[in-house]
Amino acid sequence: MPGISYYDIRQVTGEVTHIDIDNSVVESAGTSFFNKAILRVLAGTGWGVLQIDNYSPCTGRKFDELLKKAARLARITEEPVSLAEAPRGLRAGPSLREDPRDVSIEEKSTLLSEIEKSATRPEVVNRRAGYIERFEQVRFSDSSGNEISFETCRSGFNILAVASRNGSIQMGYEREHAINGFNLRHRQEKGKEAADIAVALLDATAAKGGKMQAVLDPELAGVFAHEAVGHASEGDLVQEGSSILKGKIGERIGNDTLTIVDDPGLHEFGFDPVDAEGVGVARTEIIRNGVINAFLHSRESLAAVGNGIPGHARAMPGEPPLVRMSNTFIGNGDSTKEEIFAECKNGIFLAGSRGGQVDPGRGIFQFNAEYGYLIQNGECTKMVRDVSLTGEILTTLHGIVLCGNDRKMSPGYCGKGGQSVPVSDGAPHILLNDAVVGGSGVD
Amino acid sequence: MRWWVAVAWIEELIREAEKSVDEVEVFFVEGESVSADLKRKKVSLATTSRDCGLGIRTIHKGRIGSSSTNDPTTWRDCLKAAIASARLATPQEWDGLPGPKGTDFSPLTFDASMKIEPGVARALLDAMMEGASHHTAEVTSGSAALSSVDVTLANSHGVLMSDRHTSVSVSLEAIHEQSTGFEFDHSWSFDRIDPVNVGERATFFASESAGGKDLPTGDYAVLLSPLAYGELLGNVFVPALSGKNVHAGRSRLAHSLSEQVTGPGISMYDNPHLPGAESSARYDAEGSPTQRIDFIRDGILCAFAYDVRTASRYGKTSTASAVRGGYGGSPSIGHHNFMVDGTRDTVDDERVVYVNMVVGAHTANPMSGEFSVELSNAFWMEGGEFQTPIRSAMLSGNVFDLHHAVAGLSRETRNVGSMILPSVKLNKQHIIGK
Repeated sequence: MPGISYYDIRQVTGEVTHIDIDNSVVESAGTSFFNKAILRVLAGTGWGVLQIDNYSPCTGRKFDELLKKAARLARITEEPVSLAEAPRGLRAGPSLREDPRDVSIEEKSTLLSEIEKSATRPEVVNRRAGYIERFEQVRFSDSSGNEISFETCRSGFNILAVASRNGSIQMGYEREHAINGFNLRHRQEKGKEAADIAVALLDATAAKGGKMQAVLDPELAGVFAHEAVGHASEGDLVQEGSSILKGKIGERIGNDTLTIVDDPGLHEFGFDPVDAEGVGVARTEIIRNGVINAFLHSRESLAAVGNGIPGHARAMPGEPPLVRMSNTFIGNGDSTKEEIFAECKNGIFLAGSRGGQVDPGRGIFQFNAEYGYLIQNGECTKMVRDVSLTGEILTTLHGIVLCGNDRKMSPGYCGKGGQSVPVSDGAPHILLNDAVVGGSGVD
Repeated sequence: MRWWVAVAWIEELIREAEKSVDEVEVFFVEGESVSADLKRKKVSLATTSRDCGLGIRTIHKGRIGSSSTNDPTTWRDCLKAAIASARLATPQEWDGLPGPKGTDFSPLTFDASMKIEPGVARALLDAMMEGASHHTAEVTSGSAALSSVDVTLANSHGVLMSDRHTSVSVSLEAIHEQSTGFEFDHSWSFDRIDPVNVGERATFFASESAGGKDLPTGDYAVLLSPLAYGELLGNVFVPALSGKNVHAGRSRLAHSLSEQVTGPGISMYDNPHLPGAESSARYDAEGSPTQRIDFIRDGILCAFAYDVRTASRYGKTSTASAVRGGYGGSPSIGHHNFMVDGTRDTVDDERVVYVNMVVGAHTANPMSGEFSVELSNAFWMEGGEFQTPIRSAMLSGNVFDLHHAVAGLSRETRNVGSMILPSVKLNKQHIIGK
């Protein structure tokens, strides 16, 4: 069509099944349906975008009308957009160990209920378990003749235990999400773990804030990588000028043991067979041996910024693609967990994650542990609660002095621009010098 | 939306549902929106969308089921899914959906003059850029969005009501050296937002925060802006007032009715009838007539929020607090215009650490209320003036306990989502410096 240099359309249809059990009561359980599409057009300058609910694929004049409508919209834009050439290709996902569609919702509910019941303790006043299963059928095509379609399945559960004693109230929270099929069987220990943590936290003391040596468990160290490095390496933020890493490719940011990677092709919870622009996904080493190596890119941000790898555009159904992380991790080093605790000697061990946040332009991040222990003479001693960490992107990473050899990935969701996408974060145990720890405890 | 067209199939849906369940509720939304985004100084993206969504809730012998779809032509499948989902649910006490009440259904948050057009969004961006030019800082991104939505709520007790809402929102981000600034505004009424001011504030904070100094660890008098306060309040305190969380054992306030839970000068209430306010509503999302709810009066905890479901289960009365985030299956407990009130005063005369925003409020412990967050755009403030910017520091404390340390509430308030909040001055808060 005259005047249109590029278009793509991405339609996602699917269904979501959920079960919510609260203190043994099945609050709700059932299935909902959706059909959402997004058409993006480049005509002259910037993007004209139509978000369409209940899209019925069409061709010929009907489709041309949609293109024209989006092109008219693009007239109010003035920033010229170029798209870098990028490789195509569809990665195979993992095969499903057991297809959740083959399991009745009654059986799912029974299995979830067993996990929920296993969180029972005298001090536990609330147990809440949730199951979520999401099937998406994705159809993508663009003006270059690329056509891709695939299906994804994500399923998982979470269990919250709330413990209370003498007016004090604490929680434990466990979750498991998978892309390789049904994962509710034989998971009662997760309910027990959530309850154990909630009850133990009743006796924990508030951490005392300040600078100290910290050992981070794989889950929390993964969130550290995500918040401290991942967001600031997103090409769209670099392009806007709101990342402190802008212009820093080739600069040293940590010591030789530190490598941080984002890999959408990894069969973890953030897996994408192809990105939301139809680009083949690839492993991207954001930091290689302590040096800033590559940014995460969409076709647009790669053309504008360079220095990185495309295939990192991701989107919720019906939403415009943004540059996003997928599976982000600190690579293994060669230390054992025991060596890390011995080297720390006196400090704090922080485990689990309640999430985090970053201001990538200012270069400051914050994230929160679920619980921790004081380390004395290399041994975990007293349990502490409500511990968070802050840091500065350009200086804090130098504090990672040891990386373990026991990397583990944890699933979660990441928010940006009003969109939430599935991700995983991971790391081995790490030793962080001069960690700025927040807590309300006093001497 | 021509609602009389929608009614035909909704009535058919209700008749069909009544063949197999005791009660049914239908929630249907249809709307349009337009937005435009800035990348640095230039408009890089314009979007329009047409959305619709159908949520169905069925109740049969105390078993509640729900489903949703964004294709209303498939309502029969959606209804089947809702009925199937009820079979699995544990039966509960159920007092029944509300019947028709009242006669005034005129919209409270609809601006008929608002034009949902790309040119209007573009003009909002231009106005923000004009405001942004008043200070030395680079704009990194910004957005303007306009939307209009028609909502229909119907149930098998004869409720059939429609409402209309409009919404306009703008936001801008800016950077100067290593210092960032962010500002936003939103309203149902086009004339109630001030895009020039949003642009000016975003670049002011970026520019003014540059060259900040560190702060030694210690206890300080702190002035939380409505934004900073709202983040802590919304993540921790407000959920603890939900009847659902109270009875399920997930609220620290569960056993504190009639007790002092904040300083004596503090009141918290939901005022759904505040003229012109962002989330005013005559009815809640289940069709119950809304009312003022005094949660905390002069420091004393007086009430919790209920919808029909939670009220039925625990022998309470609905406070008309049902809200819906979207069209998805069931409503949940929320609020309309949540207000924090009390004696108003000048709060920025004496030297105080002013905190405009915080980083990481969502990581607070929602049960115990403990938090530690990084400060954003913090300053020493005295005599009503911003003085030295503070580079980086952490505020640690407890969202429940800090309400006993309130030293004053500002005269001015600000809309933060569906909360209307003053700035809050706190005595002796623990700050961890660098």
